[in-house]
Amino acid sequence: MSEAFVAPATDAPRDGDLAFDELYRSSRDDVYAYAAGLLRDRAVAEDVTATAFERAYRKRSHFDPSRGNGRAWLFGIARNAALDEIRRRSRQAELVSDPVDATSLDAERGELRLILVAALKKLVPRDRELVALKYFAGLSNAEIAAVLGISESNAGTKLHRVVTKLREACDGAP
Amino acid sequence: MEPRRDDLDLAAELRALRPSPERTFAAALDARAAAGFPRRTHADYSPISSLAARLRRLGPRRLLYAAGATALASIAIATVVVATNNSAPEPVALDSRQGVERPHHVQFSGSIPKTANGPTESSAGSSAQGDTSAPQFSTEVPPSEASADLARGRVPHRDIKRSTEIGLLAEPADVADDSADVFSAVHNVGGIVLHSTTTAGRNTGANFDLLIPSAKLGDALAAFSAIDEVRTRHEATTDITAPTVAIGERLQDSRAKIAGLLSQLSAAETASESEAIEIELRDAHRHAAALRSQLAGLHRRVDYSRVSLRIESGAAAPSGSWGIDDAWGDAGHILVIAAGVTLVGLAVLAPLALLYLLAWLAYRFWLRIRREQALDA
Repeated sequence: MSEAFVAPATDAPRDGDLAFDELYRSSRDDVYAYAAGLLRDRAVAEDVTATAFERAYRKRSHFDPSRGNGRAWLFGIARNAALDEIRRRSRQAELVSDPVDATSLDAERGELRLILVAALKKLVPRDRELVALKYFAGLSNAEIAAVLGISESNAGTKLHRVVTKLREACDGAP
Repeated sequence: MEPRRDDLDLAAELRALRPSPERTFAAALDARAAAGFPRRTHADYSPISSLAARLRRLGPRRLLYAAGATALASIAIATVVVATNNSAPEPVALDSRQGVERPHHVQFSGSIPKTANGPTESSAGSSAQGDTSAPQFSTEVPPSEASADLARGRVPHRDIKRSTEIGLLAEPADVADDSADVFSAVHNVGGIVLHSTTTAGRNTGANFDLLIPSAKLGDALAAFSAIDEVRTRHEATTDITAPTVAIGERLQDSRAKIAGLLSQLSAAETASESEAIEIELRDAHRHAAALRSQLAGLHRRVDYSRVSLRIESGAAAPSGSWGIDDAWGDAGHILVIAAGVTLVGLAVLAPLALLYLLAWLAYRFWLRIRREQALDA
């Protein structure tokens, strides 16, 4: 997973293709991970990822650094693309995560991952989006707040609730 | 607050579940990124979308320049059109032949008798020698009357009322002298100045309402034309033979009635009979007086022609004397027109732009709501 990219004002996408290229390289896999985590469909996630980067590329001159960093801006576009896709297809496929190779892990850890996958499936889309933004895409709470249009403390509170739900699901599993 | 170890383990396990893109997809996306993300669908290559894409490639600054240049060109074109229309000469011609309205008329080749003392078609040319815009008089004549007279084999007697408008162009400094010349010309032909106004300042000029003996109208017009440059000249004639004849006949009837009443009065035997005839006689006299007045008015209209004379100066100065002051005036005029055109354009575009903005904001708001609702489905 790439480290959180905070684009300085001078490297903002509107300043040129070079900055956008750097943003693309640092965020490509993260955008895909977010889309796949939210949509739970690999093919749709690929489509949404490509659409998000296309839109971002065409709007790169409109980016305003004062309204957030480059990653938050890019994930805002990716989120709109993902939500448009959900509206268009009006369906949610099964989450396609990398298969859990439980044999390569110790028994306890493999069992935990299986329980976690099951718990993720039960999450509502809003909670699953938070998990995708935080743990799959690697966004900070401030970036998540910028993407969702909420305050940073509100984003932290929502995340805490989701993690609590997941932990309770893991603890309550047989 | 330090995160619990359970939370840290949970976070690590969640990160381990992070989906990763297929290598083929990543490679394809990298290639598209290197190519500047060309559009993928075939529909995107429609003429409209390709034009939109071309406009997008221009960038906001170049688009702004293009829009500004287009707006300026539009304003310039509209200004030229409006200024051309405003500066076009009035719909009259120096040649009165084009200016006289002829709803229904007959042109007389013969001479007009004394009651129509004005210049005839042939006499006008001689009375206005040197005046290239000598009028050709046309008269409105009811066809039945004219044909009836012609059928009787005699030259018809016509009462013709004439009116003339003449506009002179003068230097501002010459307006006073020209006005004096107008008074002198009117005096020479025995005319009457009904009304005159002289304006000083930037739009220096003068207006005269004149009554000119119809017999000397040609001489008067020639004298007016010689005062300064003739800018406009209208001449119109109206045949008032029918009302003149009708009133004359009614007056004759009235006189006959008075004569009859006088005879009756002289033969009256009783006082009451005389009194009744006298009352009737007074009414007949009043009626005859009114008819005489009307007939005299009609004769005055025939004997005197109405002339409206205007002396103008200023913006329409003759070519050759156009100077820096005129340039300033013209520049100000053009700027005023350009400002007007811009104002009208804004008045048209502003409501449309406001509607577009409101629609766009409403669409964005609706789209945002719908997107958020997609997560709640």
